[in-house]
Amino acid sequence: MERVINSLRGRLLAVVLLINAALAPLLYLGLSRIVEEGYADLFVNSVRSYSRMVADQLEAVPSQDFAARSQDVLDDFAVSGLVVFAQIEDGTKRVRSAVSQLPAPGRGEDFHFHEHSDQAYYISHSVKRDDHEVVLRLGFDETPTLEQIAAAKRRVLAAVLAFALVSTVLAIALSRVIARPVVRLREAAKRIARGEVSTELLQHSSIAEMRELSHHLEHMRRELVGTSERLQSEIREREASEGKRLELERRLQHRERIATIGTLAGGMAHEFNNIMTPILLYSQLALNGTAQNGALASDLKRIVAAAHRARSLVNRILTFSREMDSQEARVFTLAPTVAEALALVRAIMPANIEIVVDPLEDTPPVSGDPGQLHQVVVNLCLNAYHAMRVAGGRLTLRLGAAEHAGKGGARERYAMLQVADTGHGMEPAVMQHIFDPFFTTREVGEGTGLGLSVVHGIVTSMGGSIQVESAPGRGARFTVLLPVATALEPAATDVA
Amino acid sequence: MASIVVVDDEADVGDAIRRVLEHSGFEVRAVNDAEAGLRAIEERPPDIVVTDVIMPRMNGLELVKILRTRFPRVRVIAISGGGSLGIQTYKPDAISTHAYLAAVREVGAQEILTKPFDMDELLAAVRRQLPN
Repeated sequence: MERVINSLRGRLLAVVLLINAALAPLLYLGLSRIVEEGYADLFVNSVRSYSRMVADQLEAVPSQDFAARSQDVLDDFAVSGLVVFAQIEDGTKRVRSAVSQLPAPGRGEDFHFHEHSDQAYYISHSVKRDDHEVVLRLGFDETPTLEQIAAAKRRVLAAVLAFALVSTVLAIALSRVIARPVVRLREAAKRIARGEVSTELLQHSSIAEMRELSHHLEHMRRELVGTSERLQSEIREREASEGKRLELERRLQHRERIATIGTLAGGMAHEFNNIMTPILLYSQLALNGTAQNGALASDLKRIVAAAHRARSLVNRILTFSREMDSQEARVFTLAPTVAEALALVRAIMPANIEIVVDPLEDTPPVSGDPGQLHQVVVNLCLNAYHAMRVAGGRLTLRLGAAEHAGKGGARERYAMLQVADTGHGMEPAVMQHIFDPFFTTREVGEGTGLGLSVVHGIVTSMGGSIQVESAPGRGARFTVLLPVATALEPAATDVA
Repeated sequence: MASIVVVDDEADVGDAIRRVLEHSGFEVRAVNDAEAGLRAIEERPPDIVVTDVIMPRMNGLELVKILRTRFPRVRVIAISGGGSLGIQTYKPDAISTHAYLAAVREVGAQEILTKPFDMDELLAAVRRQLPN
């Protein structure tokens, strides 16, 4: 019940019914009053003019035989309709119509219609005679007028009831018209809330405000649905990239683990090589001082054989740890590898060559094989050393970051390694060939001519580039640029 | 009788080499670090120095460089089982072992041997470096 009252249609109907309930009685009462007064006025006016007419007639009656003549006049009027009482009073004499149906009233004159409940209206009129005045008293029947009034009031009631009925029906219809789009909107909103977001909110209503409201709501829905779809696709993308990130992280962890195993294996192999040396030497020494066909010799040979097997096992471990490294490119920074290579280079360089190292600030990470980079540094330094071995000079090593336009034209970041010497420098013709295999300017037996071509090969395989600036007598400067490894992205070519 | 100085921070390795060489009739002094080796060489220059490469404090490369300037006639046989010259994050492997030995050849060692080596390989290297 409360639901019905609180609904839009219920409220609209309630308002109309309340208006009707207040208005209909007022309307009825007001109209009844007007009808009553109209009829009463009509009655009073007509009976008064009628009685004046009677009085005029009586005035014209001659004096002789007045009583009998006036009796006739009164009778004439009394039979003609409304007059139900007629009497002339002359002093104490009374002439009364014979047709009078009413008894003589106890009162003089009525002023208002239906003033008394006897349903008669009495009027007194003075009639001038020659020498004196006589009083004409007439009584009129109020019943027909009362009946007319009652009938008119019934008609008024019917009209008011009809009005109330029609207005209620109209209100119901109107409330439907107003409420229907609202109800439909509510249903649509419910469906949207349930997740059927494609439910259209646009309503065809004859009410302009309703139409506009639903239009705006529909617009809002489309915006929201669009936003929600964008958000959902964004979430899906995020999830996908999160999955990709986790996969890369997993691979990176795997690689780190392999690298750790490799480092451990490398360290252990070194120790093993040291341990194996005395085993091999002592057992071979003992074998040498023993009769070759004896049981002891046979035992010692077994030790030697086992030691050989151990040696080949260690070599396999070293090779394996190296292969593991080159199979899967690692993301690493240059400084530690360069520092290790530099330790080697420092040991090699004679005193007449000064080594200047710009602080080995760590570069952005690159992707590749640290062992190969080690080789790049050593080879470049040896090349510099050969250029300066006679006259001496200065070897400068620098690490840093560089940025220049990449293949797509976009700025790309690089880790930079620079090796410069103050040696004899190169002719342009020589510079053209320095990265060719087996090209060398050294004396026979001094170098293989593979150093710089190996450097070029390694740098290219890491996706980098190498440039040389030189002039005869002006030294040389090699600049290696290696692309910066993006966060977790391994070099694609190495993984594939 | 040829004289040989053996330098290796691993006493077991140095002793084993000394025993092998003595057994073959050489006069051998074995020491456990490069400084002691240098002192022994200064005291009485040998014909041959057998030295490890990766050693704490002064490493074999530095020792060889000094020998090349101060004792150019002393022949050097470098031995190494790989390792690192001291950078903790650097990983020794087959390439780096090779790199050290290549480096020591670069500074002037006549022979290089990868540990562990056979007695015959050691003796062959020593004999190659002796004047006939």
